[in-house]
Amino acid sequence: MISRRALELATAILTGSFGVAVVVQSLDNGIGWSSAGVDAGTFPFLTGIIIVSGSLYNLVRGVLPAASLANVPIAITPLELRRLTSLFVPAAIFVAAIPLLGMYLASALYVFAVLAIPRHQSVPRALAMAAATALGLYVVFERMFQVSLPHGALAAAFGL
Amino acid sequence: MDNLPELLHGFTIAVTVPHLALMCVGVLLGILVGVLPGLGAPNGVSLLLPLTFGMQPVSAIILLSSMYWGALFGGSVTSILFNIPGEPSSVATTFDGYPMARDGRPTTALATAFGSAAFGALVGVILITFLASWVAEVALAFGPAEYFAVYFLAFASFVGMGGAAPIKTVVALAIGFAIAAIGIDTVSGSVRLTMGVDELVKGVNFVVAVMGLFGIGELLVAVEEEFHARAVSSKIDWREVFRAVGRLPRHALALLRSAAIGCWMGITPGGPTAASFMSYGIARRFSRRGRYFGTGEVEGIISPETADHAAGTSALLPMLSLGIPGSATAAVMMGGLMIWGLNPGPMLFVDQKDFVWGLIASMYVGNIVAVALVLLTVPVFAALMRIPFVIIAPLIVIICVVGAYSVSNSYLDVVMMLGFGIVGYLFKKLFYPLAPLVLAIVIGDKAEDAFRQSMLMSKGSLGIFFANKLVTCLIVGGIALLLLPLVLQLARPFRKPAPPTNETTAQEKVII
Repeated sequence: MISRRALELATAILTGSFGVAVVVQSLDNGIGWSSAGVDAGTFPFLTGIIIVSGSLYNLVRGVLPAASLANVPIAITPLELRRLTSLFVPAAIFVAAIPLLGMYLASALYVFAVLAIPRHQSVPRALAMAAATALGLYVVFERMFQVSLPHGALAAAFGL
Repeated sequence: MDNLPELLHGFTIAVTVPHLALMCVGVLLGILVGVLPGLGAPNGVSLLLPLTFGMQPVSAIILLSSMYWGALFGGSVTSILFNIPGEPSSVATTFDGYPMARDGRPTTALATAFGSAAFGALVGVILITFLASWVAEVALAFGPAEYFAVYFLAFASFVGMGGAAPIKTVVALAIGFAIAAIGIDTVSGSVRLTMGVDELVKGVNFVVAVMGLFGIGELLVAVEEEFHARAVSSKIDWREVFRAVGRLPRHALALLRSAAIGCWMGITPGGPTAASFMSYGIARRFSRRGRYFGTGEVEGIISPETADHAAGTSALLPMLSLGIPGSATAAVMMGGLMIWGLNPGPMLFVDQKDFVWGLIASMYVGNIVAVALVLLTVPVFAALMRIPFVIIAPLIVIICVVGAYSVSNSYLDVVMMLGFGIVGYLFKKLFYPLAPLVLAIVIGDKAEDAFRQSMLMSKGSLGIFFANKLVTCLIVGGIALLLLPLVLQLARPFRKPAPPTNETTAQEKVII
């Protein structure tokens, strides 16, 4: 279970650290005024400052038990968390597998795994859908629109 | 009235067989992404974007804008038949649309929604026809300072009128600006904000951000709540369609009021979502039958639908004439314009007459095509909703991955897309608005350039933003909008605190 407050804090910290990174990086480009006009780092520096201060405000708002936040104390219930991970974790594995397996194999395996392992579909049907997905991608992108999707290190090893 | 010959010329471009075919394809694809949860107009349009690079700009924009109309209509179909808004902007349609359909009047609800939507869109297009070229003419005289002031006003209006928490809007905007700054600086040529990753020199493409924020993010929000597609009958009774449309003129006042709200929210970037909620809220307050709202009132369907489509259409006005998109989808289209080599803004009306007037004429035709197609295909798309979500979800993930990859054949983009997905989920969950983030990514560079050019002109003095009446008005208006939430908050202790209602939480849920 994740409380609304924890989620607010995590998001504010996330945006805040992005802001800090922007501020630090923009200092490299120089901020302020030079002979060529406004330095390249100035605008990012200002946006970084705005992000940091806005995130701090949201952080404080998240900590203080404000009336509006008390209405929804729980942001994600255990059941919802399970559903979220069951969507996101396979998707992340799929993306991680693309450099090795290539888009076609990875997406076919992904569709098969998501449908067959939790027994949403029978194995033959899941296999058929996986094959159809890969084939569909190939026909639409490689053939119709001539966009080459990554074939993966594995295919390269076999000389494809 | 001197626009009429140009509009007629536009019709000769728009009403040709290939363009009509493109409209049909666009509208059908649009209805598809509108119906499917997790896919919406912004990422639908950005998915199609890479496929338009080989096309004539006119044909490309007709395809993309038709998709936008289709998506707006498609969102209403699921709202009414399933109580599941396919698009954030059609949430308000569920309040009265679904009860009416459940009571055995699905055709009436759909026909009322489409009829009023078409009216809203028509008002939006007429507004564009007569106003856009005039605005562009005024804008031709703009210098960098005026441009920056207009950008400032646009972003300030998100903060003041977007409906989300103001500081969260500011953070979302600023993050968008920072993302826009990643890569090579257009003025000095120096490399900025790459965080040590060399590949980021090419910058972060807005399509990657849209795929993640709207695609994966929305999917994650959707998977949390299991869908129960409690479908009501999706059969269309054609006689009832004409009867329902025939009854619309009785609600002329609601129609006109909602169209006005929609146009206003579309031009000042408030977006269709905010427009439909505002229109619904105002209708409930002022309608004589206001207390019956929520039980299947006709005006409860008319108001959000008219405003939604009026806002969606008129969002293209500032995009065409000023180069400032009025909604997230318009921002994506504007990104497309820049990729096709067009420079969005007043010069379009001088250099690209065929493009502009072809597009405007296609909006008239496209909306008629959309109404006809959506009525004909309601049963087909309603059947689509019965496909289990577990099958649709992985397909949408694959579509987003491939879409992000095909922007510039880069694996890093896919990884970033997934990262944007998490950000999109968190932002949606915590009511950070997404539209300003996307807008800032698309036009952040232009706003920055305008600022730096004006600083060059004034040798570093901010006085240039108060140099003449026009620019002063724009800046002061922007500051006023920025301060508006603060003033409202300070004024609150003097009023009785309103009891929280269910509707406000529903509204909070969908502000993007």
